[in-house]
Amino acid sequence: MVREVVALDLVVEHAPPLLRVTGLTKRYGEQKALAAVSFSVHSGEVLGLIGPNGAGKTTLLEALAGLVPVEAGELMWRGAPSRSAERREIMFYLPDGLRPWEDELVVRVLTFFATVHGRTQREVAETVNAVGLALVLRKRVHTLSKGFAQRLMLALALLTPQPLLLMDEPFDGFDLRQTRDVMGLVRRVASSGRTLVLAIHQLADAERVCDRFVLLADGAVRGTGTLEELRAQTKLLSASLEDIFLALT
Amino acid sequence: MRSPDVIAVRRTPLKPLLAKELRGILNGRALWTMLLIMCPIVGFSFFQAISLYGEASASASDQAALASGLSPLDGILVPTFGAFYVTVTLLFPFVAIRALGREKETGTLRLLVQLPYRTSTLIVAKAAAIAGAWLIALIPAISALLFWRLLGGHLHALETLNLLLGHLLYGLLIGAVALFAAAITESSATAAIVTLAVTIGSWILDFALAGQPGLAEWVSRLSLTQTLRPFEQGLFSLGLVLGGLATIVGLAELATLWLHPGVPPRAKLVRSLVCAAITGALVLLVAQLRITIDVTEDRRNSFPAADQRALAALREPLVITVHLAPEDPRYVDLRRNVLSKLERVLPNVTIHLVASQSFIGRSSDDSYGEIEYAYAGRTDKSRSTSHREILPLLYGLARVPPPTPIAGEDYPGYPLVTNAALVLPWFFGALPLLIALAWWWSRRAPRTGLPTCQGGES
Repeated sequence: MVREVVALDLVVEHAPPLLRVTGLTKRYGEQKALAAVSFSVHSGEVLGLIGPNGAGKTTLLEALAGLVPVEAGELMWRGAPSRSAERREIMFYLPDGLRPWEDELVVRVLTFFATVHGRTQREVAETVNAVGLALVLRKRVHTLSKGFAQRLMLALALLTPQPLLLMDEPFDGFDLRQTRDVMGLVRRVASSGRTLVLAIHQLADAERVCDRFVLLADGAVRGTGTLEELRAQTKLLSASLEDIFLALT
Repeated sequence: MRSPDVIAVRRTPLKPLLAKELRGILNGRALWTMLLIMCPIVGFSFFQAISLYGEASASASDQAALASGLSPLDGILVPTFGAFYVTVTLLFPFVAIRALGREKETGTLRLLVQLPYRTSTLIVAKAAAIAGAWLIALIPAISALLFWRLLGGHLHALETLNLLLGHLLYGLLIGAVALFAAAITESSATAAIVTLAVTIGSWILDFALAGQPGLAEWVSRLSLTQTLRPFEQGLFSLGLVLGGLATIVGLAELATLWLHPGVPPRAKLVRSLVCAAITGALVLLVAQLRITIDVTEDRRNSFPAADQRALAALREPLVITVHLAPEDPRYVDLRRNVLSKLERVLPNVTIHLVASQSFIGRSSDDSYGEIEYAYAGRTDKSRSTSHREILPLLYGLARVPPPTPIAGEDYPGYPLVTNAALVLPWFFGALPLLIALAWWWSRRAPRTGLPTCQGGES
């Protein structure tokens, strides 16, 4: 995996953020799921939302995608305010553990998404090859293993045209080798110009694939930046992401 | 990989969405199970209807007066479609709920609402799929009609189409209630409970309150079952059709408001109240339309043609004061035989119901039972509920001669004694088998040009 960290840093320094999130707040009754969350996403980067289960990663992604109403907060897309109803034009959110239209054949789900988004048969075939779905095209979604269901979701994401992809736990259900393959795919997607925000609870996976990180705990941001920046913030110069996370939370 | 661009607002094709929605219903077991259950129920009703109609026809074979009372609408269509109605009431909600309930339960709705379709388009597509499912569910009843024709039975096109329209309206109402229930609840089971509460509640309203005076009578009119009555009587009521359509559109709009998970519940509630108020106002408005057309071949909802023409020429207001309680059988007769027909034919008629209390307590009132007719400053009274006595009275008030009856307009009736031996094997054997085959065929995997290999799951 080639990581063009230096080049990306230059881009980050000079370009306005693709997405700026300010003060995003969400409550479930008395419980605060998101506490004034603020961070930025830059074009072409892979941003990791890092945190344990219950940290608020999924709520944050759904709030970004406009699928959960929030009490407060603002999203700026390329410097302009973005209304909740307009989000689907700029970003596509891939929920975790979903088996979409589970009574349907895999090929039909793919074809439906492709037709809706104006993709050609050739593009569908390329996507099928890229995620390794060819084996199960004529199977029904509910018969798929967790890994193949996750590949199907990846394929659907690749068929969408939005410049920003939000993916919740994209490596869940994959073994070590498959995880490496999918990470390679994620990097290729990012290098093609799309931007990815990944919610990941496995810190080792996040460290390998993400350019920058937003560390979340109890719905609040505890740190943001590249691994080097986080090391500098915590003064743990050779620490892993796990060490940094433990230090900050 | 493709180059990313912000999605331009563009026309997204509807066809794949419609196809997906219809496949979603066809992929489930609910529709096919309903069809399989419907076959014997509709078939047995049809068989019984043919038998009873045959018995009545046998005794009417040499008596024209008896034969003229044999109408396939009452004898065959209404009983057969009555069985269809029962099945639709009890089972169709499960089919309709599936159009949205499964996506909500599995979380797939979160993908669906991100597609480049308006929320209202998503609901319209689901409503179209539900209408498609209703058409498929019609197969046993339609096969009964074809059977009837094959046996030599008579069908009047307008009567039949009008009855089908009534059932379509009723089916879509059930579908719209189910869609709304699926939109506001989190699980299909809860949506089913809500929908069945409405449909079965309608029955209870119908049985318990119909014919009761005052508020109970008004409440009983809210029953969904009431929608079907005029169509079964061979009446096309424009107000009823438009009111039904307004209710269906209103429920679909409510489902649209509740579909998107990103809208705060308070906003959904406020918009729902506005939508319900607009829908209610529309329904009340169209309910004022009194345009009804008698589509029956025997013209049962109209006076004889000569009287219709003569009455249509009366331009002065007619005021009828009825001294009867609404639950009195005489009032029911009067309304069916005279009042409803006068309302359809006369341009200006007003009916006052004076006795609003129970008729049991009115027996000592001398005026109870009288019906007073006032036309052009003249009045007359009668206790009759038959048009044969009342129409001459009206002609007298209007100072016009009674019209001469038009010869040859009598309804001949369509008696038919036939052997229905093949009906039961068809509905209990052949048709269910064909439906099972269609179910199997619908689940075949399509051919695909995409790269594929033989293999299993990982």
